[in-house]
Amino acid sequence: MEGEVGTNVVGEALEVSFVLNGRATTVRARTHHTLVDVLRDQEHLYGVREGCGVGMCGACTVLVDGEPQSGCLILAVSAEGREITTVEGLEDASGELSDIQDAFVRHTAFQCSYCTSGFLLATKRLLEEIPDASPHEVKTYLAGNLCRCGSYMKILAAVTDLLERRRTVALAPTKEDA
Amino acid sequence: MESGGREASTWREGRSGMIDSYERVTGRVPFATNVEVQGMLHAVLLRSQIAHGRITRIDVSRAKEVPGVHTILTGADIVVRGAFKARFGPVFRDQPILAIDKVRFVGEPVVAVAAEDRDIAVTALALIDVEYEELPAVFTPEEAMANGAPILHEERPELGATFADILINRSGDPNTCNTFKVRRGDIESGFAQSDHIFEDVFTSPSVQHVPLETHCCIASVERSRIVITTGTQIPYMVRGQIAEIFGLPASAVQVIAPPLGGAYGSKCYPSIEPIAAALSYFSGRPVRLQNARDEEFVTITKHGVKIYMKTGVRSDGRILARKVLALFNTGAYADIGPRLIKNGGYGTNGPVSIPHVWIDSHAVYTNVTPAGAFRGYGISQAAWAYDSQIDMIAHRLEMDPYELRMKNLLVDGEPFCTGELMHDVHFRELLTTARDRIGWDWSAAPERVGQKVRAKGMSCIIKSTVTPSTSTASVKLNDDGSLHILTSSIELGQGVHTLLVNLASDQLQIPVGRISVARVDTDVTPYDQQTSSSRSSWSMGHALTAAISDVKEQLLSRAAELSDEEASQLEIRNGHVSVIGAPEQGLSYQEVVRRTRAGNIVGRGFSQTQGGLDPESGQGVASVHWHQAAGAAEVEVDLETGHVKVVKYHAGVYAGRVVNQVHGELQTEGNLAMGLGQALWEELLYDNGQLQNGSLADYMIASFDDMPDEVDLNILESGRPDAELHGIGETSLPAVMPAIANAVFRATGVRITDLPLTAEKVLRGLKALEAEGGAKNGDLTTPDGASTDGQKHVVGSVT
Repeated sequence: MEGEVGTNVVGEALEVSFVLNGRATTVRARTHHTLVDVLRDQEHLYGVREGCGVGMCGACTVLVDGEPQSGCLILAVSAEGREITTVEGLEDASGELSDIQDAFVRHTAFQCSYCTSGFLLATKRLLEEIPDASPHEVKTYLAGNLCRCGSYMKILAAVTDLLERRRTVALAPTKEDA
Repeated sequence: MESGGREASTWREGRSGMIDSYERVTGRVPFATNVEVQGMLHAVLLRSQIAHGRITRIDVSRAKEVPGVHTILTGADIVVRGAFKARFGPVFRDQPILAIDKVRFVGEPVVAVAAEDRDIAVTALALIDVEYEELPAVFTPEEAMANGAPILHEERPELGATFADILINRSGDPNTCNTFKVRRGDIESGFAQSDHIFEDVFTSPSVQHVPLETHCCIASVERSRIVITTGTQIPYMVRGQIAEIFGLPASAVQVIAPPLGGAYGSKCYPSIEPIAAALSYFSGRPVRLQNARDEEFVTITKHGVKIYMKTGVRSDGRILARKVLALFNTGAYADIGPRLIKNGGYGTNGPVSIPHVWIDSHAVYTNVTPAGAFRGYGISQAAWAYDSQIDMIAHRLEMDPYELRMKNLLVDGEPFCTGELMHDVHFRELLTTARDRIGWDWSAAPERVGQKVRAKGMSCIIKSTVTPSTSTASVKLNDDGSLHILTSSIELGQGVHTLLVNLASDQLQIPVGRISVARVDTDVTPYDQQTSSSRSSWSMGHALTAAISDVKEQLLSRAAELSDEEASQLEIRNGHVSVIGAPEQGLSYQEVVRRTRAGNIVGRGFSQTQGGLDPESGQGVASVHWHQAAGAAEVEVDLETGHVKVVKYHAGVYAGRVVNQVHGELQTEGNLAMGLGQALWEELLYDNGQLQNGSLADYMIASFDDMPDEVDLNILESGRPDAELHGIGETSLPAVMPAIANAVFRATGVRITDLPLTAEKVLRGLKALEAEGGAKNGDLTTPDGASTDGQKHVVGSVT
């Protein structure tokens, strides 16, 4: 700062454009703003939640081009041109819950639910990446998401159930869109 | 209460695990952190970087020049310019809103800045200069209690209005803010009758709650009206404290308390709320203040404790006498420490019957972060001592630790150390089930495969619930037959709102979809003492039930106006009011409300327990009933690295009557996750008062990977339909740490008495055993290598 205090102390805001939950979006971000900052403050997507600010807890997990990432470690300006999915993008257009959300509801795979968005999004990618995941693989895959209420056993039950259902759907001869 | 089998239980359909499951999986839970108020400023805090010192100069002149900065506030400003009280606290008013003259711990708020946005506030904060004259500091109760120790609070803090159960005894040294005593029987004769006397010392460190949602509040202070939205477990405490600070009637302060993103005790008592309110007072604007993660670590912690425990035992294993000195490190400000040491004091008796008991429990000020309520509430620390010790005694007497516990466990009708007679006691059932489910066999040698060794351990604990206490509830039966519940019990993930809806649904036979829980708001929802102490199911459950009974009575007398029958001839059945014996001719609630033009029917419910203890002897009633748990762990210890893995855990807990099975399981599994961390690695590390690991990069909490492969639960019910509800939010937690330590001892012979059981400590213990020349497995050894065999082993002294 060198004693010089002016209007620019906090930096200029830059325009950043990306696809957010399927919709073209432009925000204004200062260079140090994270993706969590702009999604909450400007897009009012409160399902994106900061927990630790250092990429350790997974509460702020969003999908960037389909990959789970810690939103608190991504500078907003680097999201330019990316495809971002938050928990708000998991429901279909009519507001129906995705099968992932439905499984979490059926198993009550949450308590305070502050971490739930992150778990749901990480699970979405897990199902694509390891469709035949074993319980051990599920635990390892989701170990980057922390739940301080300790709902892990119910989350494991929900994800195991989902894997099972998706496999059943995939194997069902009448379904072609699985 | 998913028992089924009742007639016409259609109102039960459509129940899910949680009434707001949809919001919980779509990111729509309205946490305090989401709240935006028009015109609000954003605040940040400059915190002390030294543990103890006088503030000699604060220069905010450069910070003031930053465009967009609105208000900069110091403790001196509050004292000089403020027309309000500068200190707060739930027992002693010892905590300044912002540091006044002195700082007492690293992280204490010193200067607050409110600006148009957070970036501006942070920029300004960096331009503030504070100078201190450092003072000698104390970090442990023993340092603080020593002769000539620096005194944290030179003037005795004011004792304010507080909870009915809190006893104050300030006869100790100047840094001891409260002492609780139990005197039962004749301790000296108890030891004289004992064949063996064991003296051991146990420590448990300070840890942090780590709610993923940090403290956040938005305060709006106007001339005669204050509105605060805050993540709190006790909105009425926030209201009372804010009203006291500003000299306003309670009715002028509105506290809105959204659901919490985790709390575990951390959000019981005001911390940042008075700062946000003071900033709003001076700025004339609403102010938002939220802790960053590193700030959460210096806001509130679990008490670090050292317990000296001397226990006298007859040669047949019967415990005759126990003398305890418990030193609770309550940090720089008392918070709820003066009450917690009471629970943590009598708690050291444990779930056993002891005729002669002498307990001194102290809350001691030191120059570290204030310690307060933490899931387990003093019992985790007490249980760590007594359940480790009973396991050690069993080994020293060459007895089966299961049998030794069974020989001493309290049963119905026996007195606890407070003199009250136990009722609804299930320790033996819980422990026996734990033994069976873990596959306990005392004679079995630890199982060794390669460099890994496996063995099992168990524990059994007792916990109180705050007594006396008060809850009130209202319900509103609307003119379409739907119901509102008005309660100030906070939903923090434990499912209390779902539980209340299920209770109401059962009692009025209305589907859960037609019952709503009003937003907790002290302007609207009636008094509840606190959402803590695992009391809500029981206490608020009773208040709600009373409110519904009130509605039912009104429904009957209203319905009588519409019929030829007396109210006494009518009954509530299957969601209708009908003539007794003629259920087919019932009136719906909607018809009763509408046809009598009642508008709505409002029911009020009240629930209050009686009790309390004598301040000199600790005799009286500590708890309206007792929470009970047993644990059993199977661990695998890596002999090369000292690393402990819990491969199987059995949690047994007495619930009385289960209202919501899945939540009972969630809470019990959650206690396991939290207990694993505290057993194996969680610990706040300080270096001269500077916290070394105040970040989730350095402070680990349990992840999926840490959970045992096998988790087995025994949520025990009494079987009686009218059984009391026993809260189980915390009960199974204190059992986890000793169960694991006892298993590690059986696996390795290494007895660790200072939590956590880090790989380093286990390995050091293994090396010490080796150095002793391959002591046989199961020999008692402390990590520093001192043999602790023998009956008169003295590590420290109680007196």
